[in-house]
Order: sequence, then C-alpha cells, then structure tokens
Amino acid sequence: MITVTINGKKITLEKQVTVLEAARSAGIKIPTLCHHETLEAFGGCRLCLVEIEKIPKLQTSCTIYITDGMVVHSETERVVNARKAMLEFLLINHPLDCPYCDKAGECDLQDLAAKYGPTTGRFAEGKRTHPESYDDPVIVRNMERCISCTRCVRMCDKVQGASAISMVNRTSKTFVEPFSGKRYDCEYCGNCLSVCPVGAIMSRMYKHKYRPWYIDKNINTICSYCGVGCSVTAQVKGDSLVRVVPEMGKGLNKGLLCVRGRFGYDYVNSSARLKTPLIRRNGELQQVTWSEAFKYAADRLRDIKERYGSEAIAGIAGGRCANEDIYIFQKFIRGVLGSNNIDSIANFSYAPAQRFFERIFGQGVTANSIQGISNSDGIFVVGGDPTSINPILGLQIRAAYQQGIPVITVGDTPGLKRFATCMLKPNPFTETALLVSLLSELKVKKQFLGGNSSFERLINNISALSMKEVEDICGLPTDNIASAVNMLSNMTNPSIVIGKDILQRTDGHINLLLLSAIMYLINGRVYLLSEFPNEQGLVDMGCLPDMLPGGRPIEIESFKKRYEEIVGLNISSTHGLSLSGIIENAYTGKIKAIQIIGENVLSNIPDSNYVGKAFSNLELLIVQDSLMTETAGLAHVVLPSLSWLERKGSYTNLERRMQFMGKAVEGDGLEDWRIISEISKMLSFDMGYKGLEDILSEIARVSPLHKDITYNDISGDECIWPYKGEPLRHGVSLEGMDVPDIGSLLKKPAKDRVYAVFDKELFHPDSLSRKSAAISSISPEPCSRVNRALADRLSVSEGDYLNISTDAGSIEMAVKIDEDIPENVVMIPNNFEGKGIFNIMQWKLNPVLKCPVLDGNEVKLKKAEARS
Amino acid sequence: MKRALLRNIDNTNSADINEYIKISGYASLLKALEMKPSDVIDEVKTSGLRGRGGAGFPTATKWAFASMDPKFPKYLICNADEGEPGTFKDRPILEKNPHQLIEGMIISAYALSAEYGYIYLRGEYPNACNILNNAIKQAYGKGYLGDNISGKGVRFHLHVHQGAGAYICGEETALIDSLEGKRGQPRIKPPFPVNEGFLSRPTIVNNVETFANIPYIMEIGGEQYAKIGSPQCPGPKLFSVSGHVKTPGVYELPMGTTLREIIYTHCGGIKDDKKLKAVIPGGISTPILPADKIDCPMDFVSMPRYGSMLGSGAVMVFDESTDLVKVCLRAIKFFEHESCGKCTPCREGVGWMRAILKRICDYNGRETDIEHLLEVSENISGNTFCPLGDGAATVVQNFIKHFRGEFESKIKI
Ligand SMILES: Cc1cc2nc3c(=O)[nH]c(=O)nc-3n(C[C@H](O)[C@H](O)[C@H](O)COP(=O)(O)O)c2cc1C
Ligand code: SF4
Ligand code: SF4
Ligand code: SF4
Ligand code: FES
Repeated sequence: MITVTINGKKITLEKQVTVLEAARSAGIKIPTLCHHETLEAFGGCRLCLVEIEKIPKLQTSCTIYITDGMVVHSETERVVNARKAMLEFLLINHPLDCPYCDKAGECDLQDLAAKYGPTTGRFAEGKRTHPESYDDPVIVRNMERCISCTRCVRMCDKVQGASAISMVNRTSKTFVEPFSGKRYDCEYCGNCLSVCPVGAIMSRMYKHKYRPWYIDKNINTICSYCGVGCSVTAQVKGDSLVRVVPEMGKGLNKGLLCVRGRFGYDYVNSSARLKTPLIRRNGELQQVTWSEAFKYAADRLRDIKERYGSEAIAGIAGGRCANEDIYIFQKFIRGVLGSNNIDSIANFSYAPAQRFFERIFGQGVTANSIQGISNSDGIFVVGGDPTSINPILGLQIRAAYQQGIPVITVGDTPGLKRFATCMLKPNPFTETALLVSLLSELKVKKQFLGGNSSFERLINNISALSMKEVEDICGLPTDNIASAVNMLSNMTNPSIVIGKDILQRTDGHINLLLLSAIMYLINGRVYLLSEFPNEQGLVDMGCLPDMLPGGRPIEIESFKKRYEEIVGLNISSTHGLSLSGIIENAYTGKIKAIQIIGENVLSNIPDSNYVGKAFSNLELLIVQDSLMTETAGLAHVVLPSLSWLERKGSYTNLERRMQFMGKAVEGDGLEDWRIISEISKMLSFDMGYKGLEDILSEIARVSPLHKDITYNDISGDECIWPYKGEPLRHGVSLEGMDVPDIGSLLKKPAKDRVYAVFDKELFHPDSLSRKSAAISSISPEPCSRVNRALADRLSVSEGDYLNISTDAGSIEMAVKIDEDIPENVVMIPNNFEGKGIFNIMQWKLNPVLKCPVLDGNEVKLKKAEARS
Repeated sequence: MKRALLRNIDNTNSADINEYIKISGYASLLKALEMKPSDVIDEVKTSGLRGRGGAGFPTATKWAFASMDPKFPKYLICNADEGEPGTFKDRPILEKNPHQLIEGMIISAYALSAEYGYIYLRGEYPNACNILNNAIKQAYGKGYLGDNISGKGVRFHLHVHQGAGAYICGEETALIDSLEGKRGQPRIKPPFPVNEGFLSRPTIVNNVETFANIPYIMEIGGEQYAKIGSPQCPGPKLFSVSGHVKTPGVYELPMGTTLREIIYTHCGGIKDDKKLKAVIPGGISTPILPADKIDCPMDFVSMPRYGSMLGSGAVMVFDESTDLVKVCLRAIKFFEHESCGKCTPCREGVGWMRAILKRICDYNGRETDIEHLLEVSENISGNTFCPLGDGAATVVQNFIKHFRGEFESKIKI
C-alpha cells in the first residue's frame, strides 16, 4: 500500500502509479496535453507540473511515480504560474485561428487556455507560418496548430505500428510529417487524428461541417465492415449524419479504428443507394411502389412454389445483415416457402471450419476474446493477413510482437512484415506440405495431452513429412521451418489466427485437419478471420442448409419440433442445398427462384461468369439490398433495404460477441425483416412482429444458445459467449474424418507458371468499400502485385497496366512491385466491378467443404497497351 | 606536471599503436585483466574520478549501478559528441591519443562485463573518425579488441558511430536514442541508462576524457591518483581555453587550478594586454563570471560557490571591448537552434528570448524588455525536460545579473 497526499487529500493505492493517475483516481484534476491513456508517457508539454515536497524543482505528474508518504500540491501559486507560463509558451506560435478551426469546442488547448491561460499575449514577434496541407484526400494537416505533443507519432509508432509519421525539425519549427513527405501513403487508420489534442491533424470528411455544439444526438453503433465489430459513435445534427467517430477507450477496439471504420462510413450516402423498389419489365428495372413490389414478389414466389415445388426456391443471406433480418429470412425460406435451401458465404469456410473445430474441441471453441491475443505467449498466423482482413485484431498481434511475444506467419502477410519473429513463405499453394512437416516435428517434440484419444489416434495416423522432404516442395530452408517448430513447441497458450485462404483450397479440408492437429498439440486458441460483421450471426441464426438457429442440426427431431412449435410453421428435415449447390442448381435450371438479402453474390463468389450465367437462368431473382450492386442488376425484383446507421439491430462478431447497432438517421427503404414479413403476409403468413424486441424474444426462445437474451444484455460491452444460454454439448465425433494421403503433396510446383493469388487488401477487401467516396479517394482503382523479377520479365514497371488472362476471361489492372512475394504469383484483389480475380477464375469446388477453391489458377500475363 | 592524458601529444605519430605502446600503452589493460572486474571498479572508486562530461558524476558510482543490474548484454558508450560551445578538449584525445581512450574503454568494459562498445562521435569531427577507426583496427590487430582479448577470454567489440550534428545528442539518453536510429531526444529518467539504456539494456555512458583517465588510474593506482589536484574531485583536467587570451588551446592541469592561473599563467594573459571583462568558465551553459571572480579553483565542488560551474572546462575569455549583449544573443541563438523541440518551455521560450535579445541588440529594445526577458527565462528555468533549456535561461539570467548596465544602455539610446 502506498499513501500519498495530494492537495491535502490522503490517497491510498495498491500499485505504484504516476502522480497524475493517483490524482485522477481521487478526482483531482491536473491539466495535461501530451499525456494520453493509450500511449506511453512523454513528458514534453510540461503542463502537468506539480510541486512535490522535498523535491526542489516542479515535476511532471505524468512521468513521476508515487512513493509512500509523498506530499503533492497541484494548485499552489508556483504551479499555477508555471502552468500559465506553459500555456503562454504554447500560444506564442499558435495561429489562434479558432473560429476557422474544426477543433474549436473540443480542443484541449482552447479549453485549457480558457481555463488556466493568460488572457493577453505578450509575444510581439511574427509567428511561424505553415500552409495547411491538402496533399491528402482524407486527412488535412495544419501544422501551425501543432503543439509538438507527439501523441500522433506515438500512436502511429507504438499502437498502430505503421511508423508512417515523425516529428521533423527542431525548436519551434518542429512539426509532424509523413515519411513520404506529402500524402500520408500509410494505413490511413486515422488513429493519429483521434489523439491530436488540437486541430493539427484532422479528417477532411467533415471539414468546416462540424462543430461539437451542432451535435444533437450521439448514437452508439458497430462498424459494418468486418468481423471485429468495433464500436463507433454516429453524430447527428437534425436528421443528417455529421460524422462517425470512435470514442477513446470504448468497445473492444478501445477507440481505435482502421481506415474502413474511420473513413468508410460515407457509403451510406453513396449515389448507388437504392431509393425505391424496382421490378424488371421488358428487360428493364422500373420503379414501382412498395405494395406493387410486395405483391409481385409474393405472387411470383407462390407461382414458382406451386409449379416446381419448394425445392426450386433458395435463399442467400449476407454477412452485413443484422441478426434479426437473417433470423426472419431463414424462418421465411424454411417455414413459409418450405425450403431448406438457405445459405450464405459463411458456409464457404468460416462455418465449416468452425464446425470442424467444434466437433473436435466442443462448441464455442472459436469464441475467443480479441484482446486475449496479446496475452498469449505465441501467435501463429496462417491463411491471410489479419492487419488487412481484421485490422483491429491485427493490432493485437503487432502489440504482442512489440512485447516480445513470438509471432510466426505463413504466406503473404505484408502488414506483419515488421512484426514477425519467423516468417514462412512457402511456394504458392504448398502450405499443406508445410503444415504436415510442422505437425510431424511437433509430434516428436510435444506430448499428447491425452484428453481426446480418438483424435490423438487420428493425428498419429497422419504420415510424417520431414523438413528435408518439404524443403524443396515449399522452397523453404530447413532451418527456417525448424525455427518455427522450436517456437511453436515452446508456446503454452498460443493464439492461432486462421484466414480463409488456407481453407478455400483444393486441399482446404486437409489443411483444416492439420491445423486442428497442430492446435491440439500446442494447446492453441483459435481465431477465424472474418470479412463480414455478422458472419458468425449467419451461423448462429441458422442461415445454413442443415442447421437451425443456435447451431441445432435440423435432422434431430427434437430440435426441429421445438423450432416448429415456437415459430408456428412446419419445416422439412432434409438438408437443403448449400450455397455452391444453389448456384450449381440454378445453373442447371433446377433452382428457379432465389431470394438474396444483402449479398453481392455475383461479385463475391468465383467465378463471376458462372454465377452470372446461373442467375440469368432463374425465373425469379429477388434482391434486397441498400446499394445497387452487380447482383441487383440481374434481379427481377429489387427491394431497397435500410442501410447501416438507418436501422437498429444486432451483430455477432468473430469472438461471438453480440453487439447492438443503433439507428442514427432515417433512410429510404425498409429493414430486411420488414420487407420479408410483408411478403410473408401476402403469402398468408402474418409474422406479426411489432418491432425488433418481438424478434429477439423469439430468437431467445428458439435458440437455446441465446436463451433469455434481451437488448439490454446486448447493449453493454460484454455480451460474450455463451451469453446466458447453453452451448450445445455433443459427443466428439470424428466420423468421416479421413487421414490425408500425404503422397499427393509431394509434387513440386511448376516454376515456369504464374498463378493468380487472391489479395485481400486493406482498403478494399471486398466490394463494399468502393462505394465509399473517401476510401475510393485513397485507393481509386484495383492494383495487382508482382515481384521485381517477374515485372522485369514482363517489362512492366510500377504504374503500368497488366493484362491478366485465363481460360475464364481476362482483366486489366495497374501493377505494383512487391519484393516480398514469390516470383511465380500475381496478387489480384477482388473489389472493383468486372475487374477482380473472381472474373478470371474457374468454378471449382473443394470436395468436402463445398466452397470454391482459389488455388491453381494459372494466368497469362502481358503488359497492357498504353491506357488513356 | 607530467601530462597524463595528452602524454605524447608532441609526437606527430602519436595516434599509432606502436608509439602508444612505446610509452607503456596497453600495459594498464594487461594489469587490469589480471584483476577481478570488481577490483577494477574499486580502484576507480578509490581514485575519486568524476565524469568529465560536464556533470561531474562519480564514475565508480555509475559503474556500480550498471554492474549491479542483472540484465545482459551490457553496453559501453563513449560520449564523444563534444557539442558544448567553447569545448574542444576531447578532440586532442580523439585525434592525438586515441589509444588511451580505447584502452580506457576496454578496461571499463572488462570491469563492467560489457561486450559491445560504441564511440558516439561528433559529426563535425570527420578527421577523428578516420583516426579512431584506424586505431580500432590496430587494436583488433594486436588482440586488444575482439573475442579473446590478449588471450584472456575477454570479449569486447568497439564501433564508431558518427552523429549528425545535434547538440542534444550529447545528452546521454538522446545519444542512446540517436544510436538506436531514432530522433535524438532525451528520454524520461528513470529508468536510467545504467538500467535501461541502449536497446533497453544496462548502458554506461562516459565522456572521452573520463575514459582516458582510466588507464592512468590503473597505472599509478587509485590512491596516488586521488592526490592530484582538488581532494574532492581529483585528477588531471583538460581545459579548452578560447577567446581573448594570448595562447588559446587545450591545457592539461590539475583539477582545481584557478581561473586566474589558467588565463594569466598558462595562456599568457589577455590578448593585446587589454583588461579582462568576463569569463565563461565551463562551456556556454555555465554562468558567466565577471573579472573579479577569477580566483575560483576550477573543480566541480568549488565552482558553484563562486556562482558558476566547471561544466566541460571550456574557458571562454572576454576582454573589455566585448559587447556582451551580442555574446548573449549569439549564445541564445545557439540554444534556440539546438532546442530539440521536445518540451514546451525550451522549444518556444528560447526563441522568444532570442527575439527580445535581437531587438535589444538592434537598438529597438523596450523599457520593459529586461524584466520581460527575465520573466521568460524564469518561466523556462526548472521547467524544462532536460538541462539544455535550463542552460539557456541561466545564460540570460547571469548575463543580466552581472552586466545589466550593458543591456540598459542599448535600450536607452
Ligand atoms: C544538452 C546536453 C549536452 C551534453 N553534451 C555532452 C557532450 O557533448 N559530451 C559529454 O561527454 N557529455 C555531454 N553531456 C553530458 C552527458 O549527458 C552525460 O552526463 C555524460 O556523457 C556522462 O559522462 P561522464 O559521467 O563521463 O561525465 C551533455 C548533457 C546535456 C544535458
Ligand atoms: S493514419 Fe494511421 S497509419 Fe497513417 S499516419 Fe495516422 S496513425 Fe499512422
Ligand atoms: S499533430 Fe497533433 S498530435 Fe501530432 S504532435 Fe502535433 S499537436 Fe500533437
Ligand atoms: S529542454 Fe526540452 S526542448 Fe530543450 S533540449 Fe531539452 S528536452 Fe529538448
Ligand atoms: S502531460 Fe505531463 S508533460 Fe505533458
């Protein structure tokens, strides 16, 4: 126990904290500027000076630690004068352009000057000048206002890990500049501007449109971009959105955001927003009224059901829809239309991977806290770059590395380049051989835990591959693999971060088994990266052909009965078609009608040409979406749904945390669940919901997992697995799990061919962000990446365009040189219409996971003709 | 007195290892290697050696802190940044007697179990850089550096790192940041470098002259050494004398030699036999002394009693014709230019003082300016992150304290 006296108040604390923290814990205010809770101490602004008895000089309370018996004064004349002096110093070179500055009203310097500062200035000489910088599309810098607190630099270096900016110059000419000189050319997380106490680094998105006193309402919601589910606050004036910002310390993101969450929210006001229902007439989509649209959709569905039977109808749900929408959707497709053909992109690897792990380790095994990553003693990353797919999760890995925790990465993870203790970069698509050899070595080094004897038997039956044997196949030196094995075998509670790229492979199911085996051996905690904010929700709400809400297998009679009783509809117990099955059956003409909510299937599934053909065979395609997409462009009925920020609802993130989305503004359209209930009513089943509460309470009854859950529970920060409900306890079954044939992995990849590899990049991992003007201004067009040797061979240089073709098609794309990728690949994103990797891929499925596979796409490359 | 630090300075080939060995160079190292490391530290303790970088911190105390820290590896750094205006005392060691520095560092490294050492060299000393690199190569050649020094299984590697011209990088924590490749700015202390310095490991930073004293202490023994000069801070001291004296230069004299003796006996008195007006005794950051205060013994303990400090021992002499307001302005310009920008009072306040001084010098001063200047300097004093800003305030305060009339007369005109 340490007792200190601050301003006469005795404070007893357990830990040795700074004087500032001690004071704040007792409600004593000491002004600060360079201090920030999320950053390491700096001690530069000297605003927090206090007087400490027995120490002659004033001390900065943010850097000095309490000792027992210390007596501190923060309001003596000496302290007050020093504080005033520091403010006077800060203001002499400050432009005092407060009326023009967007920070006015929430500027720390302004507030402190008003409270403690001198009222008149004595500095008579000219101030430093520095023109405002508009070099950047989304960030504006006004370095006249900078007070050199370095909060932005510390944020960028230590928390974001991007190290993109630095203080430059000395003396009062010090200011902040990106290393690139002009544009930031960084990760654009904007976390630097969050911590700037003055108006020196700000978002351009609300320049001169925002003043804190304009704000009528602050609405808490969840970012709609990825599976992390960061908390953000939407600020509203009247009925228009002013800006979306994080709140420091809040949510699982603790106030940090990535570029998408920070700047990407403007897609809500995109010109691609759908405003009225549309029906295809004479080959063209034409505006109609809601009632016409409902009637049309209902009539057509009824007609198809009568003519072809329920099995000819299918539903596809999207990972950005709220739980409430997708719950109603599966109920509608199953109960009202009578078809179990309901699925989503989640079933392309997220859901099967989760199910696989749960079969071995029990339900909920993937529900792990993101914050927990930096508490593990090792991290193994495979199948994707977490810093671009789930950036805030990626920050945890960077933080862990900076604390000295070993990080092993497999494959192309550019965002972890400076944060990996061991990087394994196998030849393209040879990860399976690598995983087998890692497993083989670990089997020797680690003891079986003995908890799961059937799985241990299975692991033992996997034939070994030595490091030497895979050296050639993977193109990895043995000592590179050996050092990974050593690190892995020393870990006791590691995190295993798995991206989809390792699963959407011809051998994806084998990889899954190998990863489970490794995870079992090293006692790992698994994290499944997820591109969508509610991918887990799709699983938990039963948007699967064989699972009811709460992960209940539909073929189990008691589960089915309970469902039927509560929803008041009868359903079939046969498994429906999975997403790939739905598309294949549409292609062959067996599926006649598809209803889609919130998913741009055409753009988001390879191969786009195949999907396009399948969809154009349909008699009825209903698309509910808030944006006009490639898929909606093919629809017979388009129903505008409300966008994120315009409706309430809940999301379940990759940790299986349920979070509430608030409604900030009105919009054109209806909630998906409302659209579905209206159609349902016309099909003579009145769902009868008055509002979201009714839906959630039904979910809480249908899904034992969500038992008794209410919005009250979800609105807090901590609605985490297993909520109040009960996870499904089921016996571990390894039935149907086959030991892979290792022999087939021993083929060496052909060196002379070039393969296309799917690149999920930070700015546009999929097609939503391109609807954001802000993100598009940062990254206006898709870019492929090749390494220098390949570029030289093709005689292309950075900025040139590349013609990339396969039997399935060809695309043209700008090219970037990246030294860190192998010579025989070209990295291609899938984010811009008609110009993605999915446009040049063949329809090919993994035999077990039934997902499209991304490997083995050989491409022909040539320099594209000069472009205008 | 026989010279100990610049012993073979007159030999044009003094930087060559063979010349150094001729005058029993590296004998101290061999002697030390026969001792226990802790005995070497004890010997330095007995000698009473204080750091020659400016603060006069007892060297053995610093070493003891570092050697008590259980973390390894430990690093040894020689501060050869020599940036304080008026200071050029390390230069003759670096250029003329580099092996004594290297030998001192090897002995220190042995005493402290440090396996890697760096000489952080002032960027403006390109000559010294070549000389040092050459000397280090020779020392490797003779087996005094490397993995098995003199066959004793002792390991020490030494590198020269050139600074880029920032005065602040002479401050030890800024030096360490700079050495790590970062922007050179002082760090929060604690933790002190002896516990968390270079790459967060225990790090000992000593001045060039400090290290150069180590072989001498080993040679004559700590007890004998303690008898040289001032009893409370003994040893030979290098004084770099500049300004209005007849023979400016670097003088090796016992600690505690008075300013008067330095100026009038060793430097031949004031140039053109003019009258002495003032002396800055220890580098620009130390308070200026008027002519009547020059009987002070130049050592770390006595100088504060005379209202100044020994600092780096850089004596700057001003005769009666000097415009001290201009000197003050020049000094403040230096501080402004070198303010690293980390803390508010130094970054903003020093420039402000420069602005006021400038207008006084330009005969545009206002009646309130002296008070104003003092007020600004007081607001800086004691409130800065590191001593650089304080130094600037001290300069202004002491110039005004002793020579207020000169300021006033410029304003009144
Ligand atoms: C602004 C500033 C500049 C300094 N410059 C130097 C320098 O150039 N050389 C030096 O040896 N010490 C310099 N010092 C002192 C060092 O911080 C440190 O105290 C010294 O190197 C320790 O060595 P010593 O114990 O051998 O004196 C400077 C200190 C400050 C605050
Ligand atoms: S936006 Fe993010 S990455 Fe870019 S400079 Fe700011 S903190 Fe660094
Ligand atoms: S830009 Fe803002 S956060 Fe960065 S140093 Fe300047 S005032 Fe501080
Ligand atoms: S006093 Fe402050 S600004 Fe000046 S050099 Fe030291 S830390 Fe830097
Ligand atoms: S808040 Fe303590 S020095 Fe800036």
